[in-house]
Amino acid sequence: MPRNVKVVPRHGRETKDRFYLPAIYEGIKITFRHFFDNVNDITAVDALEYPEEQPGDITERYRGLHRLTHRPDGSVACVACFMCATACPANCIFIEATERTDGVDEKMPQRFAIDTLECVFCGYCVEACPCDAIRMDTGIFSLTGRNREDFVLEKERLLSFRGAFGEEDSRAGK
Amino acid sequence: MSPAAIIVALGSFVLGALLALLMIPVLVWLERRVAGLIQDRLGPNRTNIAGFRLGGVVQSFADVIKLVLKEEYYPAHIKTGRWLLMLSPVITFAAALLAFMVIPFADTLYIGGEALRVQPLPVDFGVLWYLGVGAVGVVGIFFGGWLSHNKYALLGSVRAGSMMVSYELPLGLSVVALILTYNTIDFNAMVQWQSGTVLGFLPAWGILVQPLAAVILIITLFAETNRAPFSVAEGESEIVAGFFTEYTAMKFAMYFMGEYVAMNTASAVVITMLFGGYQLPWVGTASMLTHFDYYAWGYMVVLPLIVFGVIRWMRKNNRVRPTVSTDGGRGFETKVLTGALIIMTLLIEGALLWVTLLPEGTAAVATAVALLQIAVFVTKLMAFNLFFILVRWTLPRFRFDQVQYLGWYYLLPLALFNLFVTALVVTGGA
Ligand code: SF4
Ligand code: SF4
Repeated sequence: MPRNVKVVPRHGRETKDRFYLPAIYEGIKITFRHFFDNVNDITAVDALEYPEEQPGDITERYRGLHRLTHRPDGSVACVACFMCATACPANCIFIEATERTDGVDEKMPQRFAIDTLECVFCGYCVEACPCDAIRMDTGIFSLTGRNREDFVLEKERLLSFRGAFGEEDSRAGK
Repeated sequence: MSPAAIIVALGSFVLGALLALLMIPVLVWLERRVAGLIQDRLGPNRTNIAGFRLGGVVQSFADVIKLVLKEEYYPAHIKTGRWLLMLSPVITFAAALLAFMVIPFADTLYIGGEALRVQPLPVDFGVLWYLGVGAVGVVGIFFGGWLSHNKYALLGSVRAGSMMVSYELPLGLSVVALILTYNTIDFNAMVQWQSGTVLGFLPAWGILVQPLAAVILIITLFAETNRAPFSVAEGESEIVAGFFTEYTAMKFAMYFMGEYVAMNTASAVVITMLFGGYQLPWVGTASMLTHFDYYAWGYMVVLPLIVFGVIRWMRKNNRVRPTVSTDGGRGFETKVLTGALIIMTLLIEGALLWVTLLPEGTAAVATAVALLQIAVFVTKLMAFNLFFILVRWTLPRFRFDQVQYLGWYYLLPLALFNLFVTALVVTGGA
């Protein structure tokens, strides 16, 4: 047997277990103890009071809101190839392509929008993109708005987000 | 009817309605707050009216407003007869509410030679009423699931129905065993029977006299109220939301409240049949009436102690957590509530003091005893509701076949056996 394997004994076959009530009693005891400890001193509850306290432990692999990356020269990295829109299972990426005149590439998006109300945050768009132009590393986990339009992220907004985990410079094109 | 009789009848009716209906927001709050505290969370504690959070109860009222204002949505196939869809949750809700109305909140009041029941519906066949009316609740679930024209809803209601069939039997049999023991079908007489002692020192509560019937009754009542661990009529992992899948806004809220009223009713039945109802252990109503002074003094000593504890708890815990600084104003709430509690205590103490100075046997003393008993009843009711919630957050849900197995293979034979033994004991084996 390989090391570091913990064999957990199987419970539940003895008469005492099959009778159920002792186990229920034990369970209620634990539940009650937690309840009583916390009632006794509510400040001891280790909970995050969310809007005031923000979580500080978001992992780098967290799929937050999308962003569009930049090339080293600061221009849009996206080449409007429609790969992400094709891969998207929710059909929530809207791209209109246009000719690129700044000499960096041939094509760029005229409009690039993601309807986050439709998005299921699967990350397929990030997987599909051939030039690392779209990422979900903003660390933004909450998006609020007052009407539906607030949730459709347009190109300017997507470009304005920064990566949250120190990979500010896009390595697109390198 | 004398004025006193009318006052008592009206009073108990209002009290019953209040106890059942006001209990809903309190239970919703308890369920969310207690669940939070059990799982080391905080639960709702932000909603407030002018800075008053009352520990989060205000959240329940915000929920009500939200549910009332929500969009009503009907399944597309329902063109006519929407009222039937609306009626189903009302049936469930009304059944639980009506079943609660036969619970005695205090012993029979004797005022001016008249015997007045402190019971919203002053009937003496309470147990039958409860069994009959309480079981109607499942009809609402059945209708709701069937009318929804949705496979999940139908499955949910079928499961609720089949569970009722399998649990109503042990429930009825354990109740019959209790009826044999108490020799009555009157809830009030049952409570009076329980005011004695068994073996000389234990209070003659049903749970000690009939432990097996008590366990079966409690388990089957959990099943009757459709609550975890027997919540097979719903269950998002198997059948979406079960019978209320198609129910939105206030229609859903009716089902939701129906469950809480049913739970409250079940608690009331359990404490009435098994935990001595409105009575303190070892203390009968007669002794309370003759030695009212002692009990009043005892209460006058205990009440300030409890209030003192509550105030101390509030001062310690009703604070803004140190990590959150943007939120002030709870100090004011604590001050106002402390003042209100102290004034309330002083008023109650004063009233009790005044009653103790009256000669015994007057209507005021009898009323004071009834009020004390109501206080005991409400305390026990809350305690058992809390037990309901503790169980819900302790036990995992049963699988549907396990539920049936438990009902038919364990509870039914056990209930039959218990009935048999009870009958032998009661008849003296003759
Ligand atoms: S995360 Fe998934 S659903 Fe959202 S835009 Fe990307 S591919 Fe579409
Ligand atoms: S984001 Fe990537 S996949 Fe989508 S269009 Fe631009 S380059 Fe293509």
